[in-house]
Amino acid sequence: MSGTVSALRAEALELVESLHLPTKRDEAWRYAPHKTLSELTFGPATATDALPTDIDDQVPALDGPRIVIVNGVVDATRSQLGSLPAGVQMVSLDDADQSEQRSEVDAKAADDAFSILNRAYGDGGAFLQIDGQPTETIHIVDIAVPGETQNASASRVVIDMAVGSSATVVETRIGSGDAFGGSNVCTEISLAANASLEHIILQDLPSTQVHLGRVDVVQAAESNLRARLFNLGSDYGRVAYHVHLNGEGAHADLSGLYFGFGTQTLDQQITVVHDAKDCTSRQSYRGVLDDSSTGVWNGGVDVRKGADGTDSEQSNDNLLLSRQADVNTMPRLEILADEVSCQHGATVGQLDDEALYYMRSRGIPKDEASRLLIKGFADQTMDDIESDAIRTWITERLGHDDA
Amino acid sequence: MLNVANLTASIEDNPILKGIDLNVGAGEVHAIMGPNGSGKSTFAHALAGRDGYEIEGTATIDGADLLEMEPEERAAAGVFMGFQYPVEIPGVNNMYFLRTALNSVRRTRGEDEIGARDFLEIAQKAMDLVEMKKDFLHRSVNAGFSGGEKKRNEILQMAVMEPRLAVLDETDSGLDIDALRVVAAGVNALRGPDRSMIVITHYQRLLDYIKPDFVHVLVDGKIVESGDHTLAVHLEDHGYAGFLNSGLDDASLSGATA
Ligand SMILES: Nc1ncnc2c1ncn2[C@@H]1O[C@H](COP(=O)(O)OP(=O)(O)OP(=O)(O)O)[C@@H](O)[C@H]1O
Ligand SMILES: [Mg+2]
Repeated sequence: MSGTVSALRAEALELVESLHLPTKRDEAWRYAPHKTLSELTFGPATATDALPTDIDDQVPALDGPRIVIVNGVVDATRSQLGSLPAGVQMVSLDDADQSEQRSEVDAKAADDAFSILNRAYGDGGAFLQIDGQPTETIHIVDIAVPGETQNASASRVVIDMAVGSSATVVETRIGSGDAFGGSNVCTEISLAANASLEHIILQDLPSTQVHLGRVDVVQAAESNLRARLFNLGSDYGRVAYHVHLNGEGAHADLSGLYFGFGTQTLDQQITVVHDAKDCTSRQSYRGVLDDSSTGVWNGGVDVRKGADGTDSEQSNDNLLLSRQADVNTMPRLEILADEVSCQHGATVGQLDDEALYYMRSRGIPKDEASRLLIKGFADQTMDDIESDAIRTWITERLGHDDA
Repeated sequence: MLNVANLTASIEDNPILKGIDLNVGAGEVHAIMGPNGSGKSTFAHALAGRDGYEIEGTATIDGADLLEMEPEERAAAGVFMGFQYPVEIPGVNNMYFLRTALNSVRRTRGEDEIGARDFLEIAQKAMDLVEMKKDFLHRSVNAGFSGGEKKRNEILQMAVMEPRLAVLDETDSGLDIDALRVVAAGVNALRGPDRSMIVITHYQRLLDYIKPDFVHVLVDGKIVESGDHTLAVHLEDHGYAGFLNSGLDDASLSGATA
């Protein structure tokens, strides 16, 4: 089932003709707004000039290299691709050599309608190859600007980490305007032996739009992934991770925060496949849901035959701030190996009344006390993010910056 | 300063406090002792403003009606309660919490807020008073603190808040001998002509350090006896047996081992 990128694209374009959108019966799409999704219109990427010149107030203020993708087309003027750090190659996908065969794992995994649409139309995007240890954070900005003829954009990000490399890559996903539309972004990450990647997604499209994100990761021996998701924007904001631990001793640590208001649905679908001995994985997500927003956390660990010595932990903690808010949390576990340790836990709670009273008894007004508790709960998800620019962006986005 | 008259409190139609009368003058220290479940903590919470009680009677501080106020307004009016079971607040920095608390009451009182640098000095002084290590300020409020550390943190908060009326609910329970001395010294240092205290305790040992002006015995929701500090000595020797009249089914609990 493997093939070149162009062969896969040709195949996908054929499939588009008879596409079946996901339904309620598809476990991974159960809480998606199916009618809304059917109104997204995709097509070949076309450049737009309907974008305000200044996007810098919407993205974290990072100084390093940056590639900006607007509606699936790289925007050279907004990108900063001059004087890249040693060991970093970052180009538009159009300019990248993609003649390589894609691995069977990659090619087979994504058979849902939106992955097929992405393969068919998402030929624009960023290609990032790292062979070294750049210290600057690498920034990939994806912007969706709904158009008249097609309201949704498709793009791809390819991140290729050579043996022993390490880097931090941030993907900021935003949108422009107040029309209906959205973005469909697929990220393919491969970590060679001993490579180490911190990968951060900041999802903050306007509430009139939809975001469909998918991240496929393949990890070789002793490689290390730290994936952080801040799923904040969009009417329906979805990010699905499929992590394959293919080499012995690989480690994947995924965590994140979803923080919903209004009628948002924020959906995280995570599958970590242990396919080699002695790999470890961590999934730790927090959700805060206000108004009548909905959170979805569907986190799976799949321990394949022979993946002995697997060690995995999953946790999902949720704070519901209103009676209308809701969360669906589903840890999944399938074990076909020996000597494994797999733990999972999920909690759903409200603001702690005792803590509120304690704070109020110290003179802190009720609203302020609630705010502090929420902030305390949510901010723990950025404990290990080192970049001040990113921390500042998240804090300001959550309205926690007056602390 | 604090005037409580015929205060009753019930939870879901269960009467817990059955008519408490207590007057605490400026600068006075009152101790309240009594068997487990007699209503000591309920009394403290009734003064601090916890939700969930049906309350009748009166409680005023400097003439102002406490019972009409929200918990945060009571704090601004000068009430501070040291919790028997301090609450853990993960993710909220202790120092930030303290400064927010202090500035909240200052704002309510129409006073200037205190900046981060000046606050550090205030906090440092309070830390010295309770002999607390600096890193506690940078941890989350009470999260993972040992029982004794939580109690020290309560006194630390009291020192920062400088209340008019401090109600300390079993601040001595769970403290080792040295910590007890530290906490007692902290309390004594904060004694003053303008500050009144109600100290709830099971142990006369604390009262050796903090010599109260009055001792009250609370049994089954009522103050059944009041006296000077010698009353505590009497209780230590004889227990509550003499005060437990008919109808009490929890008499066996009187030998508390908190
Ligand atoms: N939420 C509640 N619902 C029902 N009963 C309660 C509730 N809270 C307290 N009580 C009851 O009220 C009574 C008084 O409790 P309180 O905590 O005031 O006792 P206390 O004197 O402080 O005891 P201790 O010495 O053990 O701390 C107890 O019988 C207790 O079970
Ligand atoms: Mg008590």
